[in-house]
Amino acid sequence: MKVSIDIHVNGERYQKEVEAQTTLLEFLRGTLHLTGTKEGCGLGDCGTCIVLLDGKPVNSCLVLAADAGGRKVTTIEGLAVDGKLHPVQQSFIDNSAFQCGFCTPAMILSAKALLDKRPEPTEQEIKQALGGVLCRCGSHQKILAAVQAAGKGEK
Amino acid sequence: MIRLKAFSYYEPASIREASEILTQTNDKAFPLAGGTDLLVRMKRGVIRPAVLVNLKRITGLSGIENENDGGLRIGALATIADIETSPLVRKTHPVLCQAAGVLGSQPLRNLATVGGNIGRASPASDMAPALMVLQARVAAQGRSGSRELEIDHVFAGPGSTTLAAGEIMTSFFLPAMAPATGAAYLKMGRRSGGGDCALVGVAALLTLEKAEPGTARIALSSVGPTPLRAKRAEALILSGKLTEERMRQAARAAAEEAAPITDMRCSASYRKEIIEVLTYRALQEAKQKAQGGKAA
Amino acid sequence: MSQDASYIGKRVQRVDASVKVTGSAVYGVDVELPGMLYGAALRSPYAHASIIAIDTSAAIQSTGVRAVVTGKDFPCLFGDMVRDQPFLAIDRVRFVGDPVAAVAAETEAEALEALEKIRVQYEELPAVFDPREAMAEGAPLIHPDFETYLRTIPASMVPGTNICVTRKFSLGNVEQGFAEADEIFEDTFSAQALSHATMEPHAAVAQYTPLDGRYTVWSASDRPQRLHKELADALGLAHTQIRFIVPYVGGSFGGKNTLRAEAIAVALARFTHGRPVKVVFSREESITATQTRLAAHMKLTTGVKKDGLFTARRAEIVWDNGAYISNAPGVANRGVLTILGPYRIPNLDLVSRLVYTNNETTGSYRGFGTTQVTWACEGQMDIIAAKLGIDPLTIRLKNAYVEGDAYINGQIMRDVRVKETIEKAGAEIGLGTGGPGPSPTRRRGKGIATMLKSTATPTDSFCLVKVDVDGGVTVYSSSSEIGAGEKTIMAQIAADAVGVPLAAVSVPNPDTAITPYDHGVSSSRTTFHMGNCIQQAGRDVRGRLIQFAAGILKTDPARLRISAGNIIEAGTGPRMTLKELLAKKFNGKSGAVFGEGHFTPAGKPVLEAREGLKGISSIFWMFATHAAEVEVDTETGVVKVLKVAAAHDIGRAINPTGCEQQIEGSVVLGVSNTLFEEFKKERGRILNDGFSDYKLATMEDLPKIVSILVEADPDKEALAVAKGIGEPAAAATAPAIANAIYNAVGIRIKDLPITPDKVLAALKRQALDK
Repeated sequence: MKVSIDIHVNGERYQKEVEAQTTLLEFLRGTLHLTGTKEGCGLGDCGTCIVLLDGKPVNSCLVLAADAGGRKVTTIEGLAVDGKLHPVQQSFIDNSAFQCGFCTPAMILSAKALLDKRPEPTEQEIKQALGGVLCRCGSHQKILAAVQAAGKGEK
Repeated sequence: MIRLKAFSYYEPASIREASEILTQTNDKAFPLAGGTDLLVRMKRGVIRPAVLVNLKRITGLSGIENENDGGLRIGALATIADIETSPLVRKTHPVLCQAAGVLGSQPLRNLATVGGNIGRASPASDMAPALMVLQARVAAQGRSGSRELEIDHVFAGPGSTTLAAGEIMTSFFLPAMAPATGAAYLKMGRRSGGGDCALVGVAALLTLEKAEPGTARIALSSVGPTPLRAKRAEALILSGKLTEERMRQAARAAAEEAAPITDMRCSASYRKEIIEVLTYRALQEAKQKAQGGKAA
Repeated sequence: MSQDASYIGKRVQRVDASVKVTGSAVYGVDVELPGMLYGAALRSPYAHASIIAIDTSAAIQSTGVRAVVTGKDFPCLFGDMVRDQPFLAIDRVRFVGDPVAAVAAETEAEALEALEKIRVQYEELPAVFDPREAMAEGAPLIHPDFETYLRTIPASMVPGTNICVTRKFSLGNVEQGFAEADEIFEDTFSAQALSHATMEPHAAVAQYTPLDGRYTVWSASDRPQRLHKELADALGLAHTQIRFIVPYVGGSFGGKNTLRAEAIAVALARFTHGRPVKVVFSREESITATQTRLAAHMKLTTGVKKDGLFTARRAEIVWDNGAYISNAPGVANRGVLTILGPYRIPNLDLVSRLVYTNNETTGSYRGFGTTQVTWACEGQMDIIAAKLGIDPLTIRLKNAYVEGDAYINGQIMRDVRVKETIEKAGAEIGLGTGGPGPSPTRRRGKGIATMLKSTATPTDSFCLVKVDVDGGVTVYSSSSEIGAGEKTIMAQIAADAVGVPLAAVSVPNPDTAITPYDHGVSSSRTTFHMGNCIQQAGRDVRGRLIQFAAGILKTDPARLRISAGNIIEAGTGPRMTLKELLAKKFNGKSGAVFGEGHFTPAGKPVLEAREGLKGISSIFWMFATHAAEVEVDTETGVVKVLKVAAAHDIGRAINPTGCEQQIEGSVVLGVSNTLFEEFKKERGRILNDGFSDYKLATMEDLPKIVSILVEADPDKEALAVAKGIGEPAAAATAPAIANAIYNAVGIRIKDLPITPDKVLAALKRQALDK
């Protein structure tokens, strides 16, 4: 069954027809070719598919594209403005807060959403906010430092 | 990767409309709220709905409001994150924030709804024990009208509720908490964070009258086919002074009256041990809160 | 020749940073090609069964299906060490998850739909899951045709059993050693199978060109050149008929070094008339049908003098190989030869048996056998220390190797700084200090564990370094960027070797049709081997550039050097830029200059050993000590790791930040492996086949990690003394945690993982014993 959706992704409006069973993740990766959002499990356990839905981090593998109609989606591709990295992205670079990079988009988006809400979060708040993203490389300590630094506006 | 199989999809604008679609298509139709559990079970092939009825386009189902002097009305589509971060809930029924704060990961909590968590009737529900000790009442609406039922009467078995076909939960009403009442929800998962499925979850509520318990309610999850009240433990608490020893006895009673199973997550015997530990700790915390002190 | 060291040893920013923080890095799962089909595999529900018949007729008719393949259609076997594994099961399945048929269709959903229409008739066979049972005579034989398989290693089946590789090693006289001992300790430890659980699931795209019979495979692998050879050998094709193109790799940890998604994609591509086929494993498949760490059962008998000095050790290890041989023989052999730890033990008797079972195939896992044996060795070390009344630090320092000691094969070990790692990690954690814990039910303790590891020796690395007309440098290397910072290290070394700014260097991903042979990103070998190789190639091309410059500038080449992209003459200063030089050299047109590198430690005197034992020498020896502080909840058995101090003898850090990343990552992996991870099984089926129940540590489990880098004399040339860091960091965390738990509450868990129910049960037994 086809469903029409009207959705904003990274500030661009898209009017598309999708199959009802298409998830937001499949729509972003397959239809829009925004492959920065990853599929690590498809079951809401790994967090690598996190995008911001109306500013809040959600597992896009568990959202139907149809259900996201009328809403605003931000993916990792939408963070940098005019080639200038978002401060969280810059902080991840400055703090070497990634290794293989597969979870990095989700970590960055989760951190951005947290900092938008709480500019100077506690260590515990950061750990809770990013606890939904798995990282097998174990970059956690450097990610924690990157989010703390970004929160303080450090360069 | 796993993909969802095809289904028909509806976005009704009213409960009546939703209820009609759900009734007509019978057991092949599922209501879609947050989707965090439903879509996983669909991908895993546990269920194969022919129809999904998205309830989220129906307005007025997600509010959190004061009602009747300290009571609280929470829309069934309020997300777990809405509840966790609501200043209102934190003020009037903080134990619900505590439970919401350990359900899944933060991104999942931004999707999952309280109605979905209860409607799923998982034995491991995190919201159920807290709602049970708060004596929540569930408002439901079907084709034949609306009704309200006690949360304790919602669960029929693992994955099934007492709601009729096409009946949709619309809100939860929480009566005001009496003065000198404290409540706590404690959960044990496999890892440090709250995100794990509960191996055991315990909610306890105590109301003190002249420093002695006037009301005691204890509810457990992941210890039987449905979330359940530990009535013998409650009775024990009310049977005399609130001593250490009595709380220990009540905790033991809770472990005894629970009927946990062994599964891949852990053994029944370990679950029993943890029920006892967490019940005692939840009672301690509830007592401290009731006394107006700080929780440990 | 003195070398510019503008970048080596510096904390330079990773060169793969911008693509990774913007989501533009293309991983295996992201590869898309025109006309691409999607493939999926049907897998066995039985652990051991004969295939009687497969009916694919309905699947072929299914919407969007372009090919359906079974083992009979593509009857090839692969295997780097023993060629025992079919691309798709041919007449028998050997584990739950063994692929039996595959479908290629226009969409992923159509492929999955068609799989459900394939009918397979099985006849179940008796299965065996415990290697200790599988090694007994009379156990169900999993590979009755073993002797017919081609092999590149000495492997032979003990008749009537499933023991496929046996390794024995003796040193001195163990019986005499035990006779000299004051105490003899006998303990049995076990280490569980683990999923590599890379965040990127296994994925591959394969394309076959029918006219010339070539295969091109896009595969996120850690050793593309060896996969290339594995595939060419399996299909009987010439080297040039295969090409592996490597995208970014979303983690490997030893888990992406053989044909997994590649095997399915290749078998399908053979029948899709040139259309590429993409296969992305589900998380369930990545967990249950790729490869795992080898489970190990280890019996250690150790003789000790009263003063804590070792006299002898006997070790018997039984390893679970699983259903097919990947590189488990290497793991088993290296594992057993390091179960002595970094200690002088004069008399040894070591036996390792690798046994086929009907479990998922096993193989390398970050640490290559050291994670299992260190668990046993260091656990028993503290048992011995406690019994003798010697503190854990002292007994280790007493027995530890020192510079110039001989390894068990007689190789004289150089650059041995194990004692320094023990002292520094112990001091950082404050071993022997600290209180019992914040409450009677939350008790704290501290523990330490140390380890040694060799690197596969000798192995080869080749590379090319190109300088373009504008002075830009390109490194052609088959070392994949698996996340460990390979590209950054390679760029740093190339920049210094040629004499250009780091920003002028680019390191493209490997492509086996272009980038030369490399043994692979494994065995913690890349920094040293590929590093030396690139340095050689960089100096080679620099030599050529200097010759050009000397000709143009009409000066003695010995007076010239290149620094930061400038040609500098001794006593004169900068004469021209590299760009100006090459513009002149190529008459204003374009061109390129190449340098070649080939590094192998083969033949180095340092590898000399006793007759016939040079094969276990190592070009460098890695040592590491981890010290952990834990808190144990005595009512629930829950263990929380508060802090880990990790001291590593790394010789020289080419990029200290990169070293910290490896150490911190290994500690988190170690915490996760130790406390959370295990397979729950039912008749061979893994029940916890997703991350909801196969638990990985998250940010919320993160301890405070202090990395301590122990380095060589700073005057020594970096790439002469640099060691690996990827693997050694993974081994010591688990026993350090176990030893800290013992220190906190006096219980010892010998079988991994350390779960709360085990801790609680042990505490209860302890209370009863008192």
